[in-house]
Amino acid sequence: MTNNSAKEQYQILLQEYIETKDEKYLYRAEKLSKSLLRDHTLPEEIVHLHNEALAKIDPTLSQEVKDSMAFLLETMISYGLAHQEFQTLRDEQIMLKSEISVAASMQETLLATEKPEIEGLDIGVISVPAHQMNGDYHHFIKANDGSLGVGIADVVGKGVPAALCMSMIKYSIDSLPELSMSPKAILSNLNRVVERNVDASMFITMFYAQYMPKDCTLQFASAGHEPGLHYHHDGDYFTEITTKGMVLGVLPEGKYEEDQVVIESGDMVVFLTDGVTECRKDGRFLEMNEVLDVIKMFKHLPAQEQVNEVFKYFERLQGFQLRDDFTLIILKKDV
Amino acid sequence: MNLTIDTEQEHDRTVLFLSGELDIYTAPNLKEKLVPLVEQKDAMVEIDMDEVNYMDSTGIGVFIHALKTAKQSGSKMKLTNLQEKTMRLFEITGLDEVLDINSSIRGGN
Amino acid sequence: MTSQSCVSIRKELDIVGARQLGRDITKEVGFGLVDQARVTTAISELARNIYLYADEGEICCEALDYTNKKGIRITASDQGKGIEDVAKVMQDGYSTSGGLGAGLPGVKRLMDEFDLQTEVGKGSVISAVKWLR
Repeated sequence: MTNNSAKEQYQILLQEYIETKDEKYLYRAEKLSKSLLRDHTLPEEIVHLHNEALAKIDPTLSQEVKDSMAFLLETMISYGLAHQEFQTLRDEQIMLKSEISVAASMQETLLATEKPEIEGLDIGVISVPAHQMNGDYHHFIKANDGSLGVGIADVVGKGVPAALCMSMIKYSIDSLPELSMSPKAILSNLNRVVERNVDASMFITMFYAQYMPKDCTLQFASAGHEPGLHYHHDGDYFTEITTKGMVLGVLPEGKYEEDQVVIESGDMVVFLTDGVTECRKDGRFLEMNEVLDVIKMFKHLPAQEQVNEVFKYFERLQGFQLRDDFTLIILKKDV
Repeated sequence: MNLTIDTEQEHDRTVLFLSGELDIYTAPNLKEKLVPLVEQKDAMVEIDMDEVNYMDSTGIGVFIHALKTAKQSGSKMKLTNLQEKTMRLFEITGLDEVLDINSSIRGGN
Repeated sequence: MTSQSCVSIRKELDIVGARQLGRDITKEVGFGLVDQARVTTAISELARNIYLYADEGEICCEALDYTNKKGIRITASDQGKGIEDVAKVMQDGYSTSGGLGAGLPGVKRLMDEFDLQTEVGKGSVISAVKWLR
C-alpha cells in the first residue's frame, strides 16, 4: 500500500527531475521504487501515484493524458496479480526447500555407514549430492571373518525420487543374511527387490566388492556400474576391474558374474559413480585418463585426504556446481 | 540442451530420428513419444541415434521402460547408429544384451 | 441497500457488458481508479470463466451501503459442470500456467471477500466483495 509520505516523495522527485533532469533524482527514484517494492506496492498503484503527481505538478494537464493514465493503469492489473502470485509461489518454494532439507538430513542419518577399521587398509570415502538429496549410495560391512564388504550404487535420476529408492536398497542390504554372501549373490538378491518395486524407467547400477585381508584378494561383481579401478604400485598404472552384468531392476532373474584380483602392497582400489566420470570442463566431458591423473596427483596423501582433494579439484573444475551426485571411495593397501 | 525427435513412417515400421542431448530434461519427451508406439501390438519401432551426442542414465531409463512395455505388448524395438560414447553406456549397463542394437555401421542402415 | 443488476453471459461480448455494469457501480459507490480497475478485472475473470466453461450464466453486481461501510458485491452464477477439485482451481499457478489469466486466486486477491459454492453437475456460485476504504 502506498502511504502519504511515498506519495509526497514521488511527487517531489518527479517535479525536481522534470525541472533539472539531474541524475541524482533518478537514483532517488530507484531507491524509492525499492522501498515501494518492499511494501508490496503493485504496478497499478505506481501508475496511480504518477497520475496524481502529474496532475499536481501540472494543473492544466489535458483530459487525453489523464485518460491515457487510466488506460495504462488498467493494463497493469494483470502484472500486479502476477507479482502477487510470484510472491506466494516463492514463499511456497522456501517452505518446500526447508522440508527437503529436513528430509535430506533424515536421509543422511538413515543411510549413514561407518567406515570400518581394517588391518593394513586405508579407506577414504566422499559422497556429495548435486542437489539436497543424494541418489548415490555406498556402504561398508565388516564381516565376522574379518573381510570387508564395499557397495557403491547410483540410482537413475537425482533428487527426492532417487533418494527414496536408495533407502529401499539400504534396507534390502540390511535384511540380507550377513553370513559372508558373495558379491554376485548380493547383487542378484537386490535385483529381485528392485525389479519388483520400482517404476518401469527406474534402475540402479551397483558395484559390490569384498576384500579378504588374509590373502589380499578382492572379489567383485558389477550390475551395470562404472568399472572400478585398480592402481598397481609396481609399474604405476591403472587397470579397470569390472564384470559384465545387467543394471538392477530390468530383468526379474539377473545372473551376475564374479571376478577377483590380488591387491599388492601400495596398490589402490577406486570405486566411483558417474558423477565423477561425467565431470564437464568447458562444455566437454573429461576423458578417463584425465580423471585418473587427478586421482594419481593426490596419491601421496592418506586415503581420506586424497578423496577430499580429488573432490575439491573436480568441484572447482565444474565451477562449484555439481551436475550429478558424486561418490568416490578409495582403498589403499599399506606399503 | 535440446532434443529433437523426427518421426518417419516406412511401411509397417516407425523410425524415430533423435538429435541432440538425451538427458534428465529431454528424456520425458522421448518417453512420451516412444512408449505409446511400443505399446501397440506387433509394432516395429526403430530409433536412429546417429545425432545423439550425449545421453545420461535418464535416457537409459526411457529405453528400459520401452523395453519392458514392448515385451508386454509383443512389439519390436531396435536402436541404430549409436555413437561410441552412447554405445559404451549400453555396454557398461549390460543393456546391450537385452536390447536390439545395431551400431556396427555408423551412418548406414 | 440498493437492488442488484445482472448481465447474462453467453458470448464473449457479454464480458464487456458485465465490466461496464461493474464500472458504473464502482464509480457510483465512490471507488478510486485503482480499485475500479481491480473490481472490473475480477468481473472479467468471473465472466470469462462462465463463457469458457459453463456456456451460460450471469454476473450480478450490487452496491452495498451500510452505516459504517460501503462496497460492491459481485455474484457469478452458472449451471455448468461445477468444479470437481476446488483446491486445485484455487491453487496458484494452476490457471496462469495454461495462459488462462489470473483465475480464481486472482479474483480472490483483487477483492476483499471471496466465497465459492459448487456442486458437480449442477454449477457454481461465486461471490466476492470489495469494500471502499
